[in-house]
Amino acid sequence: MLVLYETSTGYAVFKLLDEKKLVQIENLYDEFQTFDKASSIVQLQKFYKFSTTEDAMSAATAAVEGKIGKKLKKVLKKIVAEDANEQLAVADSLLGKVIKDKFNLTCVHNTAISELMRCIRTQTNNLITEVSERENTAMSLGLAHGLSRYKLKFSGDKIDTMIIQAVSLLDDLDKELNNYIMRCREWYGWHFPELGSVVQDHAAYVKTVKKLGMRTASITMDLSDVLPADLEQRVKDAAQISMGTEISDEDIRHITGLCDQIIEMQDYRSQLFEYLRNRMAAIAPNLTVLLGELVGARLISHAGSLMSLAKHPASTIQILGAEKALFRALKKKHDTPKYGLIYHAQLISQSSQKIKGKMSRMVAAKASLSIRVDALGETDDADLGTLQRGYLENKAKELESIESGKMGGIGGGPKKFDKYQNKSQVFQYHGGNDNTMTPKVKKEPTDFFNQSPAPGKLNKLFGEEELKVENGDNGHAETTEEPPSSGKKSKKRKLVAEVEEEVAAPLEDTVSAVAENVDASGGKKKKKKKVKTEAEEEEA
Amino acid sequence: MGFDRPARGGFGGAGGRGGGFSPRGGTDFKPRGGGGFRGGDRGGGRGGFRGGDRGGGRGGFRGGDRGGRGGPRGRGAPRGRGGARGGMRGGKTVVVEPHRHAGIFVSRGKEDALCTINSTPGDSVYGEKRISVEGAEGTKVEYRIWNPFRSKLAAAIMAGIEHIWIQPKSKVLYLGAASGTTVSHVSDIVGPEGLVYAVEFSHRSGRDLINAAKKRTNIVPIIEDARHPQKYRMIVDMVDVIFADVAQPDQARIVALNAHHYLKNGGHVVISIKANCIDSTAKPEAVFAEEVKKLQSEKIKPLEQITLEPYERDHAVVSGHYRAPLGGKKA
Repeated sequence: MLVLYETSTGYAVFKLLDEKKLVQIENLYDEFQTFDKASSIVQLQKFYKFSTTEDAMSAATAAVEGKIGKKLKKVLKKIVAEDANEQLAVADSLLGKVIKDKFNLTCVHNTAISELMRCIRTQTNNLITEVSERENTAMSLGLAHGLSRYKLKFSGDKIDTMIIQAVSLLDDLDKELNNYIMRCREWYGWHFPELGSVVQDHAAYVKTVKKLGMRTASITMDLSDVLPADLEQRVKDAAQISMGTEISDEDIRHITGLCDQIIEMQDYRSQLFEYLRNRMAAIAPNLTVLLGELVGARLISHAGSLMSLAKHPASTIQILGAEKALFRALKKKHDTPKYGLIYHAQLISQSSQKIKGKMSRMVAAKASLSIRVDALGETDDADLGTLQRGYLENKAKELESIESGKMGGIGGGPKKFDKYQNKSQVFQYHGGNDNTMTPKVKKEPTDFFNQSPAPGKLNKLFGEEELKVENGDNGHAETTEEPPSSGKKSKKRKLVAEVEEEVAAPLEDTVSAVAENVDASGGKKKKKKKVKTEAEEEEA
Repeated sequence: MGFDRPARGGFGGAGGRGGGFSPRGGTDFKPRGGGGFRGGDRGGGRGGFRGGDRGGGRGGFRGGDRGGRGGPRGRGAPRGRGGARGGMRGGKTVVVEPHRHAGIFVSRGKEDALCTINSTPGDSVYGEKRISVEGAEGTKVEYRIWNPFRSKLAAAIMAGIEHIWIQPKSKVLYLGAASGTTVSHVSDIVGPEGLVYAVEFSHRSGRDLINAAKKRTNIVPIIEDARHPQKYRMIVDMVDVIFADVAQPDQARIVALNAHHYLKNGGHVVISIKANCIDSTAKPEAVFAEEVKKLQSEKIKPLEQITLEPYERDHAVVSGHYRAPLGGKKA
């Protein structure tokens, strides 16, 4: 057997001299402790050194991807030419498969082989004499740096990163904008407090402040380009009787500076949102149609990349963003949250409170499908997303109408969904239910009314009276069974009870008594059985 | 401890559970073995300003310290001279003594601190403080302070671990290297004749790792998933110690896989376990016991286990002996 061993300096092909060693792999490591021993097991057949670092780099990238590089191809061709019928041991089963397909060499990879590789690794420097240890270390260091840089340079989820950063920036901007606007209202409020309550809209407020400057200027100023006519009039009225303090021109200059900042940021925010919208439509069209750009982008940002989001199950997507609540619930065994980031999707946030949980579940299920189509599918249209959105909208309508009772059926009130609860029930099998005799008793009472038994007969029947009890109550056969110690006594007591009952309700008794007759055969069997069980119990 | 601590607040320091759902980089997430949320909290491929970025990005947005632990413990509580330089560099007033573990030192000043000899004098890796001490013949030795709040290995040493197994001339396979903060100290310990293979999957923190490795030739950076050790088979040689700080639910398996490929018989593993990442519902002690059991089944004989209180909550460091030779003698 040949062994293909890859190092940072080149490919080594060893010949395994003693294949029996692979059977007992526990001792293999000890066999490799010294070079002498090791060289009796494996022998270096050929070492193919990389001529340049580029050679090594391409070989290493191929090895990472489980492919055959240029150099390896040459090596393998030589092996095929020389010993085509030999088995080849490789360190990676994936690589082995590729080699087998391409070169028709039988490749082996199993635990024994990886143990062998491990052992060879301990003696690499002695077995491969063509390169010094120093050279080897230097080469692997260079290779590691090269590989890592290559990895970072060509990382796959570059477009996702743009979306993630954009949506994060959007959130930051919103937060900052809010802060700035609050500051602006607060600051200018000292000068003209009435403006705040007249102009509620933030953008309009900032623009008004910028244009207005001092409130006294409002009398002559035309504000029609920033405010509607009625508001403009109210602002002008309020300015006349304002109770704000006077401020200097320098103060106003700074306040208008702040307003400029805010307006600029608002412009930029809308640009950024446009950019995000385009990007999302390009990389995740279905998701965007279903949930909207922002929610979609937040989900991607939370998962790290579109691909990793596609790997999440729907249940996870449903609560993505609510980890804190989830883990708290898991820990305290409470109900887990119904929604996370997905809550802000229009489909969910606009449905009524009662069906939000249901909608969240359904939307998440459909979203997970469309994410997978976006991440892995071939097409880049939003057909699936549109279809699913339509379906979910219908479903929401349906649920909504059920909730409000429109489809509640004839006359009945609104149908209610039970809150889901995990009721763990253990159903028990009652053997007594198998008894087919009882129904007869209930079926035939009227026939027996005519032939009421003689009073004398009653006593005789008493002996079997308890059987009636058993038959009637056979569902709980076990409970009526007396404890073995007081067997006879309680039997007697029962009899007395029966007699009393008879006096009180003779009719009932006659019925049962007759039943006794009918069931005589069955009853006796039962009794016998009973005695038997009692005996057994006493034994125990 | 008078280390200068990064100013808190700013971006992303608050994060309740650091990485929360998203693990490092692009792996899919699995909760206790099934599918779910990985609590992995070290800076993830997401970049940006998350709390979980392990000493990442030196400049402006230093996101608090590593796992965004948030509230209760108030680690960020004002702890004296934040940010002020020079608290430690006391020139002659500071005495540096060797620690019980080879390659590690303790600086005795107003407050004691762990430190390692800086292999690249005049350079700090992640903004840590340096102390320059004059030796006997006017030679200057520079030490770098090692903050146990930022490094689990340092925390383990402070907590009194018996052996860290990482010593001068060791070859170490470091899984979960993050931005290279602890790795840089390990590289100081092993010295120029040792080697540290630092494996990190996240591209974001890998960037910082590569930068740290540029100046230190005994760090070999590997940006790869530690779940597939065969992918770096061309680079890694046999090693003496594996240190793992991967915070993944299947970390015992990851360590065992790597040990099987690269750890010599009789080598040692040192694993930091974050209970929350493996099972957030179970008791930490139970989780640790479970992990130790898993290690045992992989031929790793547990040697000691210590918790990292007060530096980290619900963390433990477990060290073990891989394929220990029979007869109980220690390699």
